[in-house]
Amino acid sequence: MPLQPAPQNVIEPMQVDAQPEDNKNNEEENYIVEDPSLDLESYANSYTGLARLYRLIYIADHCPTLRLEALKMAINYVMSTTYNVNMYQLLHKKLADLHSASAPQSSSLPDVASQSGNSLDIPPYDSVWVEQKTKKAALKLEKLDNDLKNSKSNSIKESIRRGHDDLGDHYLSCGELSNALKCYSRARDYCTSGRHVVNMCLNVIKVSIYLQNWSHVLSYVSKAECTPEFSEAQNRDQNQTSTRLKCAAGLAELASKKYKLAAKHFLLANLDHCDFPEMISCNNIAIYGGLCALATFDRQELQKNVISSASFKLFLELEPQIRDIVFKFYESKYAQCLKLLDEMRDNLLLDLFIAPHVNKLYTQIRNRALIQYFSPYLSADMRKMSEAFNCSVGALENEIMQLILDGQIQARIDSHNKILYAKNADQRSSTFEKAINVGKEFQRRTRMLILRTAMLKNHIHVKVQTRERQEEILMPSGSNRN
Amino acid sequence: MASPLEHYVNTVRTMSAAGNFRDLVEYLNESVELLTRNINILDNVLETLDKQNHSLGFLYVIATKLNEIQQNEDPEPILKLVKEFVTLCNGEQVRNAPQNYFDLFHNYTNLLVKRKLNTTQGIPILTIAIEKIQLMESQLTPLHADLCQLCLCSKIFKPALHFLDIDITTIASSEEHQDATTKYFLLYYYYGGMVYTAVKNYDRALYFFEVAISTPATAMSHIMLESYKKYILVSLILRGKQITIPKYSPQVITRFIKPLSQHYHELSNVYINNGSPDAVRSVMTKYQETFIRDNNMGLVKQVLSTLYKKKIQRLTKTFLTLSLSDVASRASLSGPAEAEKYILNMIKSGEIFAVINQKDGMVIFHDDPEKYNTPNMYLKIQEDMNKVIELNKKITKMEEKIMLTPMFVKKSTLPESAVDDKGYPSEACE
Repeated sequence: MPLQPAPQNVIEPMQVDAQPEDNKNNEEENYIVEDPSLDLESYANSYTGLARLYRLIYIADHCPTLRLEALKMAINYVMSTTYNVNMYQLLHKKLADLHSASAPQSSSLPDVASQSGNSLDIPPYDSVWVEQKTKKAALKLEKLDNDLKNSKSNSIKESIRRGHDDLGDHYLSCGELSNALKCYSRARDYCTSGRHVVNMCLNVIKVSIYLQNWSHVLSYVSKAECTPEFSEAQNRDQNQTSTRLKCAAGLAELASKKYKLAAKHFLLANLDHCDFPEMISCNNIAIYGGLCALATFDRQELQKNVISSASFKLFLELEPQIRDIVFKFYESKYAQCLKLLDEMRDNLLLDLFIAPHVNKLYTQIRNRALIQYFSPYLSADMRKMSEAFNCSVGALENEIMQLILDGQIQARIDSHNKILYAKNADQRSSTFEKAINVGKEFQRRTRMLILRTAMLKNHIHVKVQTRERQEEILMPSGSNRN
Repeated sequence: MASPLEHYVNTVRTMSAAGNFRDLVEYLNESVELLTRNINILDNVLETLDKQNHSLGFLYVIATKLNEIQQNEDPEPILKLVKEFVTLCNGEQVRNAPQNYFDLFHNYTNLLVKRKLNTTQGIPILTIAIEKIQLMESQLTPLHADLCQLCLCSKIFKPALHFLDIDITTIASSEEHQDATTKYFLLYYYYGGMVYTAVKNYDRALYFFEVAISTPATAMSHIMLESYKKYILVSLILRGKQITIPKYSPQVITRFIKPLSQHYHELSNVYINNGSPDAVRSVMTKYQETFIRDNNMGLVKQVLSTLYKKKIQRLTKTFLTLSLSDVASRASLSGPAEAEKYILNMIKSGEIFAVINQKDGMVIFHDDPEKYNTPNMYLKIQEDMNKVIELNKKITKMEEKIMLTPMFVKKSTLPESAVDDKGYPSEACE
């Protein structure tokens, strides 16, 4: 018995290492995370609505150990709170697949089957629930539709708007996102005050995030921020919307790989007003903001906007790991910082929004650390440097080489003695070189210009009638085989 | 029977003596048929004409003779005749019938190339022929292309380089033979590019191919197609990337020529994006047939070897010292020995600055020792600046010339009836 899981465990950590590297190009979809230290229960509880479902599905897709649990939780949640029949069917199918996948295994290895097979304990497909919910949803839809028609015939703007919103909520609950989006945006014509407009924008943003339509999110965020009442009012309600908008914008920028902008948006969030579990949790904001800031901010910015930011500090308290990473980074304790980052990696890879960017952010943070490490030195021992960065000298050499080629570090490597020397760029020489090249290019272009005027003046022009030319083109053989 | 020819001789003599060349050319054009009919006894006519005084008459006779030469006829006498003619003929006279003059030498070149005769003998003759007909040094004649072709055939490049190094500012052309002019223009830049490639002056070669592919065109020319292929290869060798073609290049390039040089594009894509010599080599073998058929295999092989050089050059930017085996592995060379060979050659040709320490097997890279503070460098910069100033003056002169043309004045003033176009029109009114 104990032999069975053992070899698996040996292979698994290797997969974690190898997979993401291979998939660097194709959006890193197919990696598998083996042993996350995630408390699924509390993780799921920090979200509501579709956000919770999507996150659970994401975990189920990428983490075999948590798959069963995640799917069961998702199904329970769907059944208890929504009309989302499609989602239920989807989830159930996934669960059934999981079961059938483990079935052959159980037949060949009865020992394991007795354990895992029984413990699967799949909830049976509840067709009664499906039918009921479908019926109920249809009824509710009809009712809402009627209400809307009534208010339309009475042309009471406010109730039409509400009708649209209610209809949108219902569609959302059924999981029909595009319909929900339509209803929410239709409410726009019936908005009478700035608050309504903001509300409409928030609804649209919410659905757009579910649809991952990031350009839509950004445009509605700016729309909401431009609403006059929004910029004037200073009450609590307004603060919450502002935080919500910032987070939505941050997510959108993150998704489009503009990490610096994303970091700035997340940093503007306010913990006291951060309560929208259908979109994002406070912990997420801390992680996303922290990582993006680390990857893109320079030392001063980091100090000013992250470490001494009163509002973001509260977020960091929620995620002590991220807080430690940021502080260690700032204190130039890179080895610990990188170690902590590595510990977090698995959990991050299970996060719907940040997972596709983990590798990129990590490399950026690492590069930044390397640059910062070397910046005060004229020469640095690469052996010590490799200790500080937890890697072999050879790997470090390659990394530094890449950074030098990208122009991020001005240095040269003495590979014989394994020392990195800072290089002073000779401004005078490079200016001369540049000037000479520009001169050459100018001469070349001017010559071409003069020739071209001659060409045009003499009507040099290739016209149809190329038959005879083909023979002429036969060139002297072997003339160019040097 | 001989009387029409006698008449020909007499007319040539009297008109040449009178200096009435324009009428003479007219008469000669009419008598081409007569000459062709009496092809067998033209030698007699030649005896009665003087090469210097009756250059035009002489030209027409030998042009006809060369034109009608039989497959199995011994070419020696006619080659000799051309040689004598070109050294003695009167440039002033023959300039009245440039097309016949050009045709004579085109046929001459073709004869040499097609019969696989000794092409070297043609080089001095073409050189003289060009110098005789040119109005100025920077004038392009159709004969330039022939000269380059002969040089390529005989692999003697110096005479061609003498002409190629001069930048062309005007082109000799005749109104009624525009197609031929265009053809020889393209051929000149194509062959010229090849000559420069052969002497490894890639910068200039690229310029020549660029001229060839940016020539205005509404139809596809095979010369342009071949130039485009070489343009891709040379730009890879020189810059290590594919240079975008000039904006004013004709549409045919994108529409017809690019699709026809797919294999070359693939090669350059692999070269740029992948950068591993193995990948480039696999593309090379995959399309070997095309490259060999296009006679470009030699260049393609050079592309591959520049890839190694580029990699080594990159290393100099990042390393102060590096062991030979490391160089080999980083530049994907087969071993330290090959790396040493490459580095040695590159040091020799001044592409990198380095020292090899054979005891430890280390390479020590240096910075470019050029500090731009020597008198020589100063002189060079001075010269460059003078060149630029010269060019600038030329452009200004050309611009002024354009501004003074009545057509330009008319067009530039017409749309805005108020004439205040920088004050130029007032000058032009005179």
